Amino acid sequence: MSPYRHSSFWGFIVFNICVLVSGDGANLTASEVPPLSSVVVSSAVFKPGLGSVLSLNLLSSFPEDLEISDYCSELLHIFGQRYVAYVNCLVPAARPVKVCQNCFSSYGSLTEIFSNISSDQVGPGNVSCRDSLLRSDRLMLVYELYENLKVLWEKSDCHNCITKGFQNLTSDTLHFMTTLNQTLTCFEQYQQKNKTELCTNCKTDYKNLNVLYGGMEKNKTMCIDIEDAMNMTRRLWSKNFNCSFPREETVPVIAVSSFMLFLPIIFYLSSFLHSEQKKRKLIHPNRAKSYSSLMNIQDNRS
Amino acid sequence: MANITKKVSWSSRADESGATGEGTPLLNGSEQPRHSRQLSEGRSIFQIGRLSTVDLEEEITSDEDSLRGRPKEIPHNEKLLSLKYESLDYDNIENQLFLEEERRMSHMGFRCLEISRWVVCGLIGFLTGLIACFIDIVVEELAGIKYQVVKENIEKFTEVGGLSISLILWAVFNSAFVMVGAIIVAYFEPIAAGSGIPQIKCYLNGVKIPRVVRLKTLVVKVGGVICSVVGGLAVGKEGPMIHSGAVVAAGVSQGRSTSLKRDFKIFEYFRRDTEKRDFVSAGAAAGVSAAFGAPVGGVLFSLEEGASFWNQMLTWRIFFASMISTFTLNFFLSIYHNKPGDLSNPGLINFGRFETESVAYNLYEIPLFIAMGAIGGLLGALFNVLNYWLTIFRIRYVHRPCLQVMEAMLVAAVTATVSFTMIYFSNDCQPLGPDHTEEYPLQLFCADGEYNSMATAFFNTPERSVRSLFHNQPGTYNPLTLGLFTLTYFFLACWTYGLAVSAGVFIPSLLIGAAWGRLFGILLASITTTGSTWAVPGKYALMGAAAQLGGIVRMTLSLTVIMVEATGNITYGLPIMLVLMTSKIVGDYFVEGLYDIHIKLQSVPFLHWEAPATSHWLTAREVMSSPVTCLNRIEKVGTIVDILSNTSTNHNGFPVVVQVAGNDEPAKLCGLILRSQLIVLLKHKVFVELARSRLTHRKLQLKDFRDAYPRFPPIQSIHVSQDERECMMDLMEFMNATPYTVPQETSLPRVFKLFRALGLRHLVVVDDENRVVGLVTRKDLARYHLGKHGLEELQLAQT
Repeated sequence: MSPYRHSSFWGFIVFNICVLVSGDGANLTASEVPPLSSVVVSSAVFKPGLGSVLSLNLLSSFPEDLEISDYCSELLHIFGQRYVAYVNCLVPAARPVKVCQNCFSSYGSLTEIFSNISSDQVGPGNVSCRDSLLRSDRLMLVYELYENLKVLWEKSDCHNCITKGFQNLTSDTLHFMTTLNQTLTCFEQYQQKNKTELCTNCKTDYKNLNVLYGGMEKNKTMCIDIEDAMNMTRRLWSKNFNCSFPREETVPVIAVSSFMLFLPIIFYLSSFLHSEQKKRKLIHPNRAKSYSSLMNIQDNRS
Repeated sequence: MANITKKVSWSSRADESGATGEGTPLLNGSEQPRHSRQLSEGRSIFQIGRLSTVDLEEEITSDEDSLRGRPKEIPHNEKLLSLKYESLDYDNIENQLFLEEERRMSHMGFRCLEISRWVVCGLIGFLTGLIACFIDIVVEELAGIKYQVVKENIEKFTEVGGLSISLILWAVFNSAFVMVGAIIVAYFEPIAAGSGIPQIKCYLNGVKIPRVVRLKTLVVKVGGVICSVVGGLAVGKEGPMIHSGAVVAAGVSQGRSTSLKRDFKIFEYFRRDTEKRDFVSAGAAAGVSAAFGAPVGGVLFSLEEGASFWNQMLTWRIFFASMISTFTLNFFLSIYHNKPGDLSNPGLINFGRFETESVAYNLYEIPLFIAMGAIGGLLGALFNVLNYWLTIFRIRYVHRPCLQVMEAMLVAAVTATVSFTMIYFSNDCQPLGPDHTEEYPLQLFCADGEYNSMATAFFNTPERSVRSLFHNQPGTYNPLTLGLFTLTYFFLACWTYGLAVSAGVFIPSLLIGAAWGRLFGILLASITTTGSTWAVPGKYALMGAAAQLGGIVRMTLSLTVIMVEATGNITYGLPIMLVLMTSKIVGDYFVEGLYDIHIKLQSVPFLHWEAPATSHWLTAREVMSSPVTCLNRIEKVGTIVDILSNTSTNHNGFPVVVQVAGNDEPAKLCGLILRSQLIVLLKHKVFVELARSRLTHRKLQLKDFRDAYPRFPPIQSIHVSQDERECMMDLMEFMNATPYTVPQETSLPRVFKLFRALGLRHLVVVDDENRVVGLVTRKDLARYHLGKHGLEELQLAQT
């Protein structure tokens, strides 16, 4: 798992370096992403950003050398935009969980801009934004914000479902999704009719899905989206449609087990009745003359 | 004549009051002295008690038998002392040879000895760790295969029907493994049965249990443990580790193996009981340490259970062996788990780390813990009583090896059946956790994505079940599951202990305790409003486990430390101690600890710490055996051979006396010589006449005695010609010239203390003129014990 993550990490670095050269490109992706997932709330996206710009203006009374450069504030601005975009994408995808498939690209751009900020590369004006943005105060807001989302991303195991460089979903994931859809359509098809019919007819689809899931579980190529989808399907199957196995062989099980439980009783009874009891031969120790004195002592005591 | 003997014989009193195995109180009115007077009269007819070993029994002629009357036969019970057991010679024999050797030895020589002691302890630790590692890996692999196969089978048959076939498959699997384990134990080495802790306790107490520290025992033990754990019995592999460690220690310290007929010519100095005992206590400690990852607990176990003979350097060496053992296990397991160098598996059982949030306990929980201790004591006492009756039944009726194998197989099959039935009818389904603590989750009739919660407890090796009871999230088990599990496992474990398989009782006890402890925690959380915040089930599971184990084995100090070390949590030290204290107090009120019960049932002459209370009125005169077979300082070979080959007096120690003036005067004591020494002397033909004629004759050295140790040849294998019988033997050089003696009026507790503290084997009783009047041995002392009706006396019996 970790080598995989590492390699992807190095991938980003390379990618980012390319992006750094052309600042426009970075801007382009940033503006491209938000409309994809959340057009409705996009007006709210920019408000905090604007606010931060304003507050920056208020602080302009600081001397020149302590002020962050325009380049950095530009980066910060982009970071804010992408951050908001990603969060906006995440929230609607919370239930049912679709955080990986819906938001991987916005996360990709977020990591990209963050690695821009945190890189050693000096931008125009010979300044590195890393120190000024990330670690010049106790709060380390930018770092903490990013770190929170990173933890979320890692917890959700999304990297298992996304190809390197946040390009696309992996083929495994896509395959799973199609199988899942197939099963769900089958469910839908029979849902109105008899439940038992559903259980028999959709069994192959469902089983295929289970096998596929089992394989992915073993290879650890799962992300939260797949897990959640599978859990929901299973619950549908077992609880809603009641297709899990019934307990129907109670009689043979009871018969076999009572037979087994009966065996020891027979064994102990027969060994009690037929086995010869072990006797111990008592030995007469030679403690000859001592009892006269014992009597004396007893007399003394009484 | 036979009639008379019968009447006056010792056992005739048992006829009247104790034929059913009841104890014979010593103080039962005036009846007794009357008998004893008769006894002293009858002495001339029936002089010496029959003290022969088992293998010599056939040689008793029918003539002898009729003379003595048929020996009284009673069913086996706990109030017997077996003749099979002899003492170990812990006392150093300070004869002239010894002094000479000591003189010859340079300062450097003693240094080397000290170093080699350390080397031996290191080796003991290393090998014990390796054995533990081997057992662990093999059990894990085999159990993995078994559970995988059964699981697949169950999954298959859940779908298509026919689960009773899975049940049979599981039962057959279990029985097959257990059959192998039981066969090797019952047919090849019966001493390897059980956990081996009682046997090691006896060994360290100074009782020579035949074959207990042989290589063959070790092999059978290891194989047997693997089979019984894989066979799914309610047993653990921890107890036998202690025995294994002890065998390793006894073997390594001798530098040779008699079974393999290999002598490496090293560590020859250690070939005597005293040295061996120290190493065996180190081995037992190393075994505990490997089993639980508890080096300090191991040292304390040796201290508490075994070593009556203790000093600072020995403790330090034992600690060294323990540390090496846990380190070795840790290291090799890390390689096995593909994480070389990650030393996180210190013991066979890993209780896992308790999370820091749940560690805290509150002051108001302490009474709860004490209550749990009391419950543990009660349940432990119940366990012991049931097991006691079962063991008596087994000794009396299930003594043939084939029956024992069958019984073990039946238990295995029933264990599988019960487990399966419980799992089958359980409705407790839990969602699969993200981290998969369940190794072999069984779904059965649960919804997909869920598993049967009963199966985590039953369909698993006991160690894993313990761990999941300690650490699984609150809500993983529902109370009904736990209750049923506790109940069934309690009876299964009780039924299993004492079978002819090598297996320990630690893990099953922990498991029972953890189950009801967790139940206790859950109930507590449900009846109190704020309970869910502080009544963490895992914590109560740990306390329950401690209480149950304490209630069964009644260990105190070492068990506290073992639990603390195995959980890696010092904070719980005080609660665990309180729990164990309470459970011991409550349990002792009803019945003894399990190991003590088994020691008693094996009729071992075990000496406890103290002589029984209210025994001060008994003096050495009553306790001792008399008359004593003595040897003269210069004795005729024929006499010695006759005494040694007399099957009715299988004595081991002979006071050596010198005749003063007249012949009728009783002789004065001048030394003590052992049977083993006499045999070596006879074998090397150390006769006065031969020494005179052959000037070049090599002088006998201490080495010759050591070479014969520990299996001295029987007297029958030594051929002494008719001419040689007329020769004389000078015992002066070889006897222990300063044996411990006591006057006749010494009280029993004094004798006892001397015996116990010095580890004596023979204590000569002399009169005021240093004349031998009797001899006190271990069996003379061990026969007194405090029963329900005051002081009682155990009877000697042939087993």
